[in-house]
Amino acid sequence: MIIKDPVCGMEIDPTTAFTTREHMRQTFYFCSASCAEQFDADPHKYAMSGSATTGFNLSLPLSSIEIPILGLKKASQVSALQNALGAVAGVRTAAVNAASGIALVEYDPQVVTLPALIAAVKSAGGRVGGAQTRIGVENLRCASCVQFIENELKATPGVLNASVNVGTQEATVDYLPEKTALASLNTAIETWGYQTRPAASQEPVDQQQAAHEKEYRRLMNRFWFAALVSLPVLVTAYPQFIPIVRDWSMEMLRLAWAGAALLTLPVLFWSGSDFFSGAWAALKHRSANMNTLIALGTGAAWIYSTFAILFPGIFPAGTSEPFYDVVAVVIALVVLGQALELRAKGRTSEAIKKLMGLQAKTARVIRDGQEMDIPVEEVLVGDVIQMHPGEKVPVDGILVEGSSAVDESMLTGESLPISKKPGDEVIGATLNKTGAFRFRATKVGKDTALAQIVKMVQDAQNSKAPIARMADTVSGYFVPVVMILAVLTFVAWFDFGPQPQLVYALVTAVTVLIIACPCALGLATPMSLMVGIGKGAENGILIRSGEALQTAQAIQTVVLDKTGTITKGKPELTDIIIVSSRSKVESSRPSTFDLQPETVLRLAASVEKVSEHPLAQAIVEGAQARGLELEGVQHFEAIPGLGVSATVAGRRVLIGNLKLMDRENIPLGGLVEQSKSLADDGKTPMFVALDSQAAGIVAVADTVKEDSAEAIAALQKMGIEVVMITGDNRRTAEAIARKVGITRVLAEVLPEDKAHNVQLLQAEGKKVGMVGDGINDAPALVQADVGLAIGTGTDVAIEASDITLIKGSLKSVVTAIEVSRATMNNIKQNLIGAFFYNTLGVPVAMGILFPFFGVLLSPLLAGAAMAFSSVTVVGNANRLRSFRPKFSAR
Amino acid sequence: MTPLQILVTLGGLALCIFIAWFFWLAPKGQTRAADGAGGAQEVAITVKGGYTPDVIVVKAGQPLRLLFTREESASCSERVLFPDFNQSALLPEGQEVTLEFTPTEPGEYGFQCQMGMLRGKLIVE
Repeated sequence: MIIKDPVCGMEIDPTTAFTTREHMRQTFYFCSASCAEQFDADPHKYAMSGSATTGFNLSLPLSSIEIPILGLKKASQVSALQNALGAVAGVRTAAVNAASGIALVEYDPQVVTLPALIAAVKSAGGRVGGAQTRIGVENLRCASCVQFIENELKATPGVLNASVNVGTQEATVDYLPEKTALASLNTAIETWGYQTRPAASQEPVDQQQAAHEKEYRRLMNRFWFAALVSLPVLVTAYPQFIPIVRDWSMEMLRLAWAGAALLTLPVLFWSGSDFFSGAWAALKHRSANMNTLIALGTGAAWIYSTFAILFPGIFPAGTSEPFYDVVAVVIALVVLGQALELRAKGRTSEAIKKLMGLQAKTARVIRDGQEMDIPVEEVLVGDVIQMHPGEKVPVDGILVEGSSAVDESMLTGESLPISKKPGDEVIGATLNKTGAFRFRATKVGKDTALAQIVKMVQDAQNSKAPIARMADTVSGYFVPVVMILAVLTFVAWFDFGPQPQLVYALVTAVTVLIIACPCALGLATPMSLMVGIGKGAENGILIRSGEALQTAQAIQTVVLDKTGTITKGKPELTDIIIVSSRSKVESSRPSTFDLQPETVLRLAASVEKVSEHPLAQAIVEGAQARGLELEGVQHFEAIPGLGVSATVAGRRVLIGNLKLMDRENIPLGGLVEQSKSLADDGKTPMFVALDSQAAGIVAVADTVKEDSAEAIAALQKMGIEVVMITGDNRRTAEAIARKVGITRVLAEVLPEDKAHNVQLLQAEGKKVGMVGDGINDAPALVQADVGLAIGTGTDVAIEASDITLIKGSLKSVVTAIEVSRATMNNIKQNLIGAFFYNTLGVPVAMGILFPFFGVLLSPLLAGAAMAFSSVTVVGNANRLRSFRPKFSAR
Repeated sequence: MTPLQILVTLGGLALCIFIAWFFWLAPKGQTRAADGAGGAQEVAITVKGGYTPDVIVVKAGQPLRLLFTREESASCSERVLFPDFNQSALLPEGQEVTLEFTPTEPGEYGFQCQMGMLRGKLIVE
């Protein structure tokens, strides 16, 4: 065999080659040391080049790849894509399938790399699907290495794009999980002699936490430096109080002050650099913020002080004393405040972290008949995943083999494990309890139920509550107003203040600049929303926005849809009555005939098993729940509008309403009365006749959920009017309402009129919350001030609702209102606190108390107050974390 | 009043007027979104002590792609919010983050950091 030296192109025999190199799992042979050296300098260049003339290297087979294309709609796009891909040098064929959203490309990997194909797709307006991962790179220093690593990554099969960031020391790689194993990406980086490490994290929240940690350390370093400098500077500022210093001569003091001037410079431009760069950036945008105030205050103090010690002569007597202490201490305090605020902020996103922590990290997929553990990010739709007892379900899917019980409490709040059989849905992040099974992934990545919940909560946490609008408007004008007030303060003290006027004027103006705290105002709402909405999510309540949360606390009337909200939404067998002896289902009193409730139920259920009516299903399930064996049925006949008839074990069984019994001339005697009283209780009675003789009644009803009455009582206790709305007849509706303690019933309301009825309630001047199922009740949910949809665990994206209750219980309604009330209270405390702080603090700093009490606020105290006012706001928001709902979540 | 006091008073009042003019009244420079790939309008925004550019003019009804790059570590700016569009994005330092949505109604919409210290304006025409 003859092979080509990749550098000089000479054809050599591999067995006699001078030396060899391994690169990208391929062996290269060289004719000489110099060729090998050239190769070592840039292996990539040579490894990638094909024939210089044709672009094709025929000695290597073509590669084919399926590139997922997102959002392909129009046919014109398909041909545009196809042409763009076909035009890339080195591409043999390109076929785009719009239906499957895949471009199948055959290409020569020696000529064209995937990133070039992706660029072609993008230039034709297509978007490429695929996964993204980040890999940490240790000790990445030189910018040129970035290029090498990027190229190496881009040349790795399946990589769509790669970029390396020196700042974060991380590589971000877009790749096709079908083609690339994560390990090969690490190998690509390691070939350049760099150590890889896990990236800060895949999870944006962890990443944010890492960034916070870094920022905290940065701020604390700056704080400690400023604090250390503050000590000697304070000594020079108050010489009269310090034993030895007080005896210093004026010359000695002046020298010490000059030292303080130099010492505070690095405090200004290192510890306080954020304020100055921030103020400058804001100034360029013709805006001003907290940075502007601090920079102006400390900057003015430093410049004045320096002038005072450099040119004492030009100042009136007694005004040539510096106050460098203000510079150092204020910067130290404000930086410390920022660091503490950051710490406290981190805790506000705990709820999201908890939710994200539910996600499994790996999945055991079966590919090509082999079980392999892969990171959950690489699981594809259609993968079959093997589950063992005690494992977390990694993604959403459909069970295909085996069976088990799955604990879904973390997502739905349902405390009992749910049994799963083939065809059932399994949800990612739930816990497999008992059995082994296999399921096919249907939703992965950001499409899973958990990911959607997280996304919805995050979006809501960062939305605006209407109450914040005012704070926003105020803070838009706040800083320039404070600057104007500072100027006016200066002028007033200079014109009317006591001697030395210049010192008083400057100190008060600086104090005004420093004490004003726009941050506290800005932080008040978002921090509380963050915690409150997170708290809701922890309790299975997904609040869509700050606006929904604010409206929910003001709800005066709650409208509850009956079916599926108050009740289970599914009929159940409630009573069996046999002729002339009434008995509840459970009792089995012997009767005068040879007739037992079980017999009647067994025969009725046997007949109903053939029927498809939902009420029939309830009777069959009732019989099965009591362990009754059902029998074979002959001559089954459904009589429309009346009932059914059939023969079971030689007996003719008739089941139906009064009309059926009348038609068959069956005397009912006392049963008619009993059926009426059952109907009064909201139940649906059905007469049973055996061999043309009345035998009894079976009654079914949509039963009330166990905790509905308790939840409704709690709502009423909170001062909320509870109204039931239903399409049922008034008698049935009122029977249910009595059971759960509701007095106001809107019965016989057609589904399309529900929204109108909600509107009527609103016309009474009430804020109405509507609780329903999100599908049939959608118009009413939209009409209501707050629509609360009772979900079934995974369908979080209920469009019509403002709040989704992922547990089926009415208790969630109570908790939702409790959470919103607690959060709104917290926001109000914060806003009032921040407003009061500023409206009291600024006038005091201006010296409003001076004419009356002769007191002035020290700028040092102002700095401390300003630093801790924003920490207090965040701290107060964190108090919400201890919120406990009346009805515990789990 | 001494002449110096009168001078300081007049200077102070002039400064107040200048502050009001500078921050509120003076017209701001606007940046128009450019046409990007796939029929979307595109703007790259740098986040450092403010948004550059901070007044952005876009067309209504055309998808808008905003590319944010945050070049500072101060946690204030770690999230950008478009409250009127219910959009927000976490901006890790040094990473380009894309935010895509389609403004439909013409008007002026503010965008800002989480606590409203940094602000910008989206003008939809």
